[in-house]
Amino acid sequence: MWESRTLCFWGTSACTRRFRMLSFADYSVPAFAGRLMTLDWIAGAWAVFAKDARLELRTRVALGALVMFVAASLLLVWLSLGGAETSPSTAAALLWIVVVFASAVGLGRVFVAEEERGTTLLLQLALRPAQVLAGKLVFNAALTVALSLFAGAGFRLLLPVRLGEPALFWLALVLGALAISAATTILSAVIARAQAAGPLLPVLVFPVLVPILLPAVALTELASFAPADVWAEAQSSLVLLVAYAGLLTSLSFVLFDHVWRD
Amino acid sequence: MQRDDLTLPRFGSLYRVFGVVMAVWVTVVVVLGIMGPVSRLPILEHTARNLYFHVPMWFVLYTGAIAGAWHSARLLATGREIHDIRAESAWLVSMTAGTIAIITGIVWSRFTWYVGTDIWWNGDPRQVMVAVQLLIGGAYFVLRGSVDDPRRRGRLSAVYALLATATMPFLTYVLPRQYKSLHPGAEGNPAFSEMDIASDMRWIFYSAAVGFLMLGWWLYTQRVRSVVAERRAERLTDNTPAPTAALS
Repeated sequence: MWESRTLCFWGTSACTRRFRMLSFADYSVPAFAGRLMTLDWIAGAWAVFAKDARLELRTRVALGALVMFVAASLLLVWLSLGGAETSPSTAAALLWIVVVFASAVGLGRVFVAEEERGTTLLLQLALRPAQVLAGKLVFNAALTVALSLFAGAGFRLLLPVRLGEPALFWLALVLGALAISAATTILSAVIARAQAAGPLLPVLVFPVLVPILLPAVALTELASFAPADVWAEAQSSLVLLVAYAGLLTSLSFVLFDHVWRD
Repeated sequence: MQRDDLTLPRFGSLYRVFGVVMAVWVTVVVVLGIMGPVSRLPILEHTARNLYFHVPMWFVLYTGAIAGAWHSARLLATGREIHDIRAESAWLVSMTAGTIAIITGIVWSRFTWYVGTDIWWNGDPRQVMVAVQLLIGGAYFVLRGSVDDPRRRGRLSAVYALLATATMPFLTYVLPRQYKSLHPGAEGNPAFSEMDIASDMRWIFYSAAVGFLMLGWWLYTQRVRSVVAERRAERLTDNTPAPTAALS
């Protein structure tokens, strides 16, 4: 079927198989040309990110919704606890539930918005799939990190449990947020192509988030209790988070082509 | 997804013979499992019979999930419709087995190790893993239900299946560190080695594993054949030529 196309744009991947192989191969050409192409590639990905960031700063829809979601759920958590004494383990679990739900609700926008505005085709024509994904991934990562840091600060304010190692607490939030954004970006591209986009993202993303949630909660607990060799104990969970984020990111780049092409 | 001619391998009468052998085999296994000899260990007593039904379901669950992931990858590589049908059928069989595995597991643990307590959900790593696997399967079918265009449905669900499969090695590595397990190979529980299944039981267990894997494969092929027949019948009724290039 792809062979019947006559037009071939670099970014669309609606090209023939031969051309697509070329577009992968040109990363391995000699140093000089390779560097130019890499710069070109980064410029394209950056343009996607800059466009999204500018649109976001113009309307502040996603940011406002996320901040309100986090603030409201923090207040709900605080109210439902009813001033009861909270253990650090419970606080860690609640914090990550708020972060995970907020990102599942808010991060689906990046690709759904393109589909709603009808600008998907333009992106497909102008850029390679991997560039689009990279731009969106960076945008989502920035949004998730900001949101989880905000949630963390809110938790410190409302549920001031013991915190032995603040650096580990914030590091866990940042790493967990990066891993969550890796999972949600590719899945939001998937749901943007489906009909009932709204409620679908949480359904798809929660099972994939389980391997992030477990080490993240463990790290947050560890930061609260802070035993003597806290960093040595945190090592395996940190490695796990980074490895899973890396796996999801590389898998996203492999699979995104099949989502983006139509 | 290309519109392919949907040919299936023809096994002819061999397939029918296989069906009969499988049916007899599974019947014998079920009867032996319920009536056969059992080593009455202190806590287990007769519940040890659940070994024949619970554990093979777990094998079918993972064989099916691996087959589903394999055909999803083949679909993305080749774009042939048959791989979409095969992937969906494999996932369906896998999810059915997973549901049975988790129910038999919950009932087994509740009335054996947790008898007299109120613990149904004991947070065993394998239990959580199967639960996550069932969530993934549910999400897979929800995703399939929400896409109308069949080509797009095949591709998107294949992408999701592959992404979700990637979580499995992490879960096998992460979960056991956080939860205690009743399962073999964890916390000094014996693994499936020479010693811990009595020899009478071992042969029934092996034949149950083979029997339920055969049953799983047979259900899978039945489902594939029926979907293929359905698709072919649809093509007979609408004689519109296949779209050469899809624009959307």
